[in-house]
Amino acid sequence: MSSQAFTSVHPNAATSDVNVTIDTFVAKLKRRQVQGSYAIALETLQLLMRFISAARWNHVNDLIEQIRDLGNSLEKAHPTAFSCGNVIRRILAVLRDEVEEDTMSTTVTSTSVAEPLISSMFNLLQKPEQPHQNRKNSSGSSGMKTKTDYRQVAIQGIKDLIDEIKNIDEGIQQIAIDLIHDHEILLTPTPDSKTVLKFLITARERSNRTFTVLVTEGFPNNTKNAHEFAKKLAQHNIETLVVPDSAVFALMSRVGKVIIGTKAVFVNGGTISSNSGVSSVCECAREFRTPVFAVAGLYKLSPLYPFDVEKFVEFGGSQRILPRMDPRKRLDTVNQITDYVPPENIDIYITNVGGFNPSFIYRIAWDNYKQIDVHLDKNKA
Amino acid sequence: MSEFNITETYLRFLEEDTEMTMPIAAIEALVTLLRIKTPETAAEMINTIKSSTEELIKSIPNSVSLRAGCDIFMRFVLRNLHLYGDWENCKQHLIENGQLFVSRAKKSRNKIAEIGVDFIADDDIILVHGYSRAVFSLLNHAANKFIRFRCVVTESRPSKQGNQLYTLLEQKGIPVTLIVDSAVGAVIDKVDKVFVGAEGVAESGGIINLVGTYSVGVLAHNARKPFYVVTESHKFVRMFPLSSDDLPMAGPPLDFTRRTDDLEDALRGPTIDYTAQEYITALITDLGVLTPSAVSEELIKMWYD
Repeated sequence: MSSQAFTSVHPNAATSDVNVTIDTFVAKLKRRQVQGSYAIALETLQLLMRFISAARWNHVNDLIEQIRDLGNSLEKAHPTAFSCGNVIRRILAVLRDEVEEDTMSTTVTSTSVAEPLISSMFNLLQKPEQPHQNRKNSSGSSGMKTKTDYRQVAIQGIKDLIDEIKNIDEGIQQIAIDLIHDHEILLTPTPDSKTVLKFLITARERSNRTFTVLVTEGFPNNTKNAHEFAKKLAQHNIETLVVPDSAVFALMSRVGKVIIGTKAVFVNGGTISSNSGVSSVCECAREFRTPVFAVAGLYKLSPLYPFDVEKFVEFGGSQRILPRMDPRKRLDTVNQITDYVPPENIDIYITNVGGFNPSFIYRIAWDNYKQIDVHLDKNKA
Repeated sequence: MSEFNITETYLRFLEEDTEMTMPIAAIEALVTLLRIKTPETAAEMINTIKSSTEELIKSIPNSVSLRAGCDIFMRFVLRNLHLYGDWENCKQHLIENGQLFVSRAKKSRNKIAEIGVDFIADDDIILVHGYSRAVFSLLNHAANKFIRFRCVVTESRPSKQGNQLYTLLEQKGIPVTLIVDSAVGAVIDKVDKVFVGAEGVAESGGIINLVGTYSVGVLAHNARKPFYVVTESHKFVRMFPLSSDDLPMAGPPLDFTRRTDDLEDALRGPTIDYTAQEYITALITDLGVLTPSAVSEELIKMWYD
């Protein structure tokens, strides 16, 4: 409430203050200074919280439009930072649900017959007056805006989401621990994933399982992470081996499970992993019928569809592969940073709300997002 | 009024409007039935619809698609009777808005085209089997958006629907080539994706379509090419076939009886087949891009809500 009072007294000061914060964040995203989807998601939410506290609007649709614009500019700044767009869409869905609830309650009072819940397949036979009624509702609700405090709704939504994101590892661990057997050999090609690390450590400590973990080296972008990861596991008395990327196929026949971390999960069940080489590991696993487990927090689910995989896969500077190259000699060096794993190469997704088949991911996604917010860009919608 | 024949009405609708799909024609035929027979009570109405539906399904050899239409219609009637307890209203609505359903069904094809256009990228080579209006409207839409793609169209024997599609695409100025059905295996490595339509989409997410779709699906799966089904959601049908044998067909799939020596006449065999869900990458429908397992959910939503 205090923030609202503040905006009414110094509206310009507050908005310009927020704009500066947005610009800094956009610049940070552009320079790739925020690393990891977890950090990006949390920072986006913090920014959104300030943005909503300072925002002013006449109708809730204004607010939704403003949030969409913000989301669009953030997405443009870093098109492959999916978690950023995901959390914004989640908050939009919370707001839209609230708006819907409001209009529902007003229709019950105005029209005596409650509208039947008509399934989407029935669209064909529905009554034609349906859209007409909806229009009446939306115009009616503009006069009712004082009833619900949308600022409070949005901020509560953000707080809940922050809580959820911070507690995601807990939820995943609960489910995942039962999936590791004693004396099993596990392989992970994503040593940068904190979720995978915590998951393995809890499996060792809580259920006291002895197992071996193979970590791929991830040359060149991830080698440092892989070494750190292996050291941390070793400190917790887990037998750990760092293996070169090229040895995966040879070792796969002994591996019991492949565990991968994710950066984004799309509605078709495919995933973008946070380092290259994961796709080939999953391909090997498929060849040997080794189960592949993908761990993902709910905030990594993206309502996008990977129409063009090349648009989503990121490439980095080549200097990490060949540090000094004579510019007169032509040589193309490609350094792929992320990787796309198709849904058929993943057996199960372990999320903080349960384990799901890749073909079921669409359902979880549509529980949390609205179709209307898939494209935040106005030109595309 | 007793001379009303549901089958004739249905066939007339299909003949009059070539853009109309079979389920919509079935719905239209049932609406006409209601208009002519004017049942007095709700029970009478339900019985009339039931018996006519049975009659219609029996008389048309390839009934998968129209069964979907009859199912939706029946369900809609039953549901509204329960909800309103006011069937007079519901009947009026159905009778008055016959034309509206047709236009909506056509609009759903445009919606599919808009949703599906992202699947087509520049330089794509697209294999199409059979002629489906939904597939054509998608390709047409993509061409209007100046996406430069090429099409490979199969001849699609025995109906030779491929020729029709070939002509349409050529008129549209899309680079297109016609191949015989047996050449699919030879060219599958060259194509980027496969688009097919569907006569019906089964509950498992598999599709019932023109014969040859299954072979194309298996070849695409083997070559790891995405296999997309472009279809309207009113073609989802409550069936659970496990193979092509489970489909309702005019005769036995393999007929070994002796006939004349004329080779053309000797050509027999099924005209539709069933492509299981494991061969399908995604379904592009007016409800969005669905995975095969989402089909059962849509059907369940409609029947068990």
